[in-house]
Amino acid sequence: MFRFVARRLTGMIAVLFAISVIVFLIFNVIPNSNPAIRIAGKNANPELIARVSSDLGLDQPIWVQYLTLMKKIFTGTLTSYASAQNVTDQIWRGLPATLSLTIGAAVLWMVLAVVFGYLSAIHSGKFTDRALTILSLVGISMPVFWLAAILLYFLTFKVQLFPTSSYVPLTTDPLRWASHLILPWLTLAVLYVGFYSRVLRSNMLDVMNEDYVRTARAKGLPERQVRIRHVLRNSMIPIVTLFGLDFGAVVGGGAILTETVFNINGVGLYAGRAIGSLDLPPLVGVTMFGAFFIVFFNTVVDILYAFLDPRIRLGEAAPA
Amino acid sequence: MTKMRKAVTATVVAALTTFGVAACGGDTGDSSSGAGGTGTGDVNVTMTSFPDYVDPQLSYTVEGWETLYNVYTPLLTYKHAKGEDGTTVVPGLAEAMPQVSPDGKTYKLKLRSNMKYSDGTPIKASDFTYAIQRLFKANSGGSVFYETIVGAKDYAGGTANTISGIVTDDATGDITINLTEPNGTFDSILGLTFAAPVPPTTPLDKDATNNPPPASGPFMISNVQAPQTMTLERNPNFKSVKDAGATEVADAGVDKITITQNKSNTAQVTDIEQNRVDYMSDPPDADRLAEVKSRFADRFRMEESINTYYFWMNNEKAPFNDLRVRQAVNYAIDPEALNRVFGGRLHASQQILPPGMPGYQEFKLYPGPDLNKAKQLIAEANPADKDITVWTDDEPDRKRIGEYYHDVLSQLGFNATLKVISGDVYWATIGNQSTPDLDTGFGDWFQDFPHPDDFFRPLLNGASILPTNGNNYSRARFPELDAKMNELRTKQLEDPGVKDQYAALDKAYMEQAAWAPYGNEQYTTFLSERMDFDKSYRHLLFSQDFSSFAIK
Amino acid sequence: MAAPFGEVEVADEPPLPTGVPLATVQGRSPWYLAGLRLRRNKVSLGFGVLFIAIVLLCLAAPLWADHVAHTTPDANHITDTIDVGGQQVDIVSPDGTPIGPGLRGQYLLGADQNGRDVMVRLLYGGRTSLFIGVVSAAITTIVAVVVGLLCGYYRGWIDAILSRVMDVVWAFPVLLLGIALGTALAVGGLSLGFTTIAGDSVWIPILIIGLVYVPYMARPIRGEILALREKEFVEAAVAQGKGSLRIMITELLPNVVSTIIVFFTLNIANDMLLESALSFLGAGVRPPSASWGTMIADGYQTIYTAPHLTIIPGLMIVLTVLSLNVFGDGLRDALDPRAKIRLEH
Repeated sequence: MFRFVARRLTGMIAVLFAISVIVFLIFNVIPNSNPAIRIAGKNANPELIARVSSDLGLDQPIWVQYLTLMKKIFTGTLTSYASAQNVTDQIWRGLPATLSLTIGAAVLWMVLAVVFGYLSAIHSGKFTDRALTILSLVGISMPVFWLAAILLYFLTFKVQLFPTSSYVPLTTDPLRWASHLILPWLTLAVLYVGFYSRVLRSNMLDVMNEDYVRTARAKGLPERQVRIRHVLRNSMIPIVTLFGLDFGAVVGGGAILTETVFNINGVGLYAGRAIGSLDLPPLVGVTMFGAFFIVFFNTVVDILYAFLDPRIRLGEAAPA
Repeated sequence: MTKMRKAVTATVVAALTTFGVAACGGDTGDSSSGAGGTGTGDVNVTMTSFPDYVDPQLSYTVEGWETLYNVYTPLLTYKHAKGEDGTTVVPGLAEAMPQVSPDGKTYKLKLRSNMKYSDGTPIKASDFTYAIQRLFKANSGGSVFYETIVGAKDYAGGTANTISGIVTDDATGDITINLTEPNGTFDSILGLTFAAPVPPTTPLDKDATNNPPPASGPFMISNVQAPQTMTLERNPNFKSVKDAGATEVADAGVDKITITQNKSNTAQVTDIEQNRVDYMSDPPDADRLAEVKSRFADRFRMEESINTYYFWMNNEKAPFNDLRVRQAVNYAIDPEALNRVFGGRLHASQQILPPGMPGYQEFKLYPGPDLNKAKQLIAEANPADKDITVWTDDEPDRKRIGEYYHDVLSQLGFNATLKVISGDVYWATIGNQSTPDLDTGFGDWFQDFPHPDDFFRPLLNGASILPTNGNNYSRARFPELDAKMNELRTKQLEDPGVKDQYAALDKAYMEQAAWAPYGNEQYTTFLSERMDFDKSYRHLLFSQDFSSFAIK
Repeated sequence: MAAPFGEVEVADEPPLPTGVPLATVQGRSPWYLAGLRLRRNKVSLGFGVLFIAIVLLCLAAPLWADHVAHTTPDANHITDTIDVGGQQVDIVSPDGTPIGPGLRGQYLLGADQNGRDVMVRLLYGGRTSLFIGVVSAAITTIVAVVVGLLCGYYRGWIDAILSRVMDVVWAFPVLLLGIALGTALAVGGLSLGFTTIAGDSVWIPILIIGLVYVPYMARPIRGEILALREKEFVEAAVAQGKGSLRIMITELLPNVVSTIIVFFTLNIANDMLLESALSFLGAGVRPPSASWGTMIADGYQTIYTAPHLTIIPGLMIVLTVLSLNVFGDGLRDALDPRAKIRLEH
């Protein structure tokens, strides 16, 4: 077990290192323009640009530039070109909103996905299944921001059921926090409900043909118990893995579309605004943050999952 | 498994309950925590573009001035009144209007005594000098107005450590300013936020946005999170300014103003309609305007505004360095089309100066729109470089204007690329000489003070081509016209013939087609129900006067 | 071509009368069987036809623009008028309201606030979005197949390195990676040594979207190749002395063709969604060019007063992506009923 954890952790560090190299390449090497101009900020004149050029060590070998960038990121001194603000601070500030959005949506989509997938599987081939499959397919075919705009139009304007404007922190007013987040939760959830319910359905259909399910029935267990205790429970495992990937992806920046349309001041909106200002440091910061979060989160999920799997706990080779 | 079922059930119930309660909770909007009564309350404001700088010496956009007018008080200030009355210069932190020497080159003022900034620091006469120094060292776009102060050029160039032309005595509060030549705009520019005193703890050569200097007005800035939000709160030490006799500086009518950026104009309109937000800085976009006008007439009105909207063209680079190309653009633009983009709020004009500005005279050198004449001129000019970049910002109407302009240029045969930049960095980006491909793009200019020099100098004078924060996006440089501009500034506006000469200057620049101006925009005031609609007004120079905000 | 499924007789052929020479009994190839299964799946086929119809409609954009609407997608007609039922109607009224949809050749779906014909923009935008979707899916497929083949066949250190690279790229949230690249390249374009691609060229989003999805396809293909490599026919080919490249192309590749086809189809769907997201945020197709994503971004500004400007382009995306998803599912069921092929999300 320990060996497994150690191996996963070293693997994680290697991947994080590679991510940092790619981020460096994207932002400092590939672009076809002088980074000093951009870094010197909007109030820069030629002397300042020259100073910044030498500060950055743009005449230095690439690996020195890489280390300079990494130092900036990890000591939290990366600053935005446009607003001279600390990127790390801004990401911290945006985190509560993004987490509120993601966790709420995640709860919603998991609950709905389990319900829909379960119903689809046990009524496989019949009308319920077909209807839910169609809904799922439509759900995964919709652009998130389009759905958000439609919901905004119909549910905040035509029928004034929900508020339009931005995020209200949980600590300010929990009720308004929730009411301002319901539409964003729904929007974000629709996409994933479709996907997860289909995965669950197909997993359940596979599991239902397993021997131990037949044994359970033969034992005389009521059908409902068979379905939930044995089939559903065992079908959930791959879902949990996928969930880890997706949750990480949404927090790591996948929420940008929902946050933009609903004007929620989270990490995603922070990155989205940087696009219009051609402001690269926030994008560097959020990309690193996003990728790190995903890798870290997945490693944690893997390790936890390994705990649950006795084969690993007892020291055998980890499943590939 | 029963446990899991319980968990699932619990979650579903919780989710549905939250859903239900929140939905029922509805939202008839209570955006403030402070309830009614005069002089109290919290107000919520939205802007499509955040202020460019939260720094009195640097800020030069409409949003910036709207925010800072009631935070930083200069020696002189503008009357807090509607319409033309508001363009009158009155004493601010100074005891009285300046005493001007007969030759017009020496200005004497006295700072009121015992005044404090919002953080308790005493306001000193030398703080005024510090502010002017910052204009030059921090590369402010407003520095062009203050060059006639003796020693300013040397200080800006780095050959002197102080500005010799400003002499102050902190003990008595006396301030003496010597000019290199008489200047008919000097009273006016002393009233601009550029000249507001700030303590020497403010960084001399850097933008102070993230940590703005302490305030000398009715409001102070308690929090800035650029570009998303900032908060203004009552200045606890404003009393010291009022007690020192500054009667013309208005007091705050609410306790707190929270400013939030929202890129969607239409969402802002809905928020005000539903009373979730109290004021929006920009006019409702074209498609909502009619609805707002008809359904919310009790809290909406059209407002006079003195501004010019134009397309700047880089006179220094091909293809716009050719006069014929610039004239062609002037022929090709259709102000009526642009009027419709604004929802009918544009008054067409082809002058540099807008109506309402002294020196305005109506004429149209390039009658049109005449696409054929324009194409003819382009054919004559036959520019070799047809690849151009068109710039605009991302506010909804600006973006549409950019797309219209892009189409016009394409029809004229150019291979145009449109670049849409975020509104809070647009002006700094196009005003920065190091930005590549600055060919042409959207521009607007709002009156800073009621003198034509305000339009000509920063936008068209050759000396205003600054490395950063420049406002002469066209890089216009016509030495004879510059000389005329400088000569006219030494006169007073009321002197005979001066206004006509300014009109002639306007025509001269239009003969050179330095720009392609197309009109002047009307603004609006749209407030939530709980705001005192009659009390709140739009100042001609500083947009909505935040000190006029009051809750009914 | 190698046939791992073996020769199979179709079950529902009527039993042959005795006395007929057996030589006339024919085996059916797996492709034929797949085709039969697909034909039976009417829903999938229907959506496949829908997709083709949408593509044809968008390809016909120039025809519509020239002969029916008489305009181009970017032309502004703010102050022009058109003849509606004998009267001259403003395309954009003096207070800025554009004309709405109506049954006529010009402005069939109405105009946007710049006086542009929405139908023309929709069709041209469709061309752009479909072009980006298909080409980037093609790029992804080619790169993924190469990577998958190399990893699966050579294994060892080639596999180790390439797999790690795939893992790293996979770790990035797709959208954020797209935005990062899109914005970084917007400033000065991409210089590839021999040429420079301009910052706002449509090839930038194509390359970005193409590369971002490579791990999602490469991993399953690698897995299949790894499994196939152990089979006897590969051993036989090696024993025959065939070179590695020949083995990869003639023995291994044909066996993953069905996987590739399904993934390619589903990938187009994902690519179109990603393109619309990037364009909506301003990091994909640049204004004033039309793509379904930029049209939604434009329409969003007037969502309350002219919802059709937002709804229609989005609906086109939904229909196109849905048809691809359903048809792709149908293809997968037809080509491998045991559903081994699963596009990892």
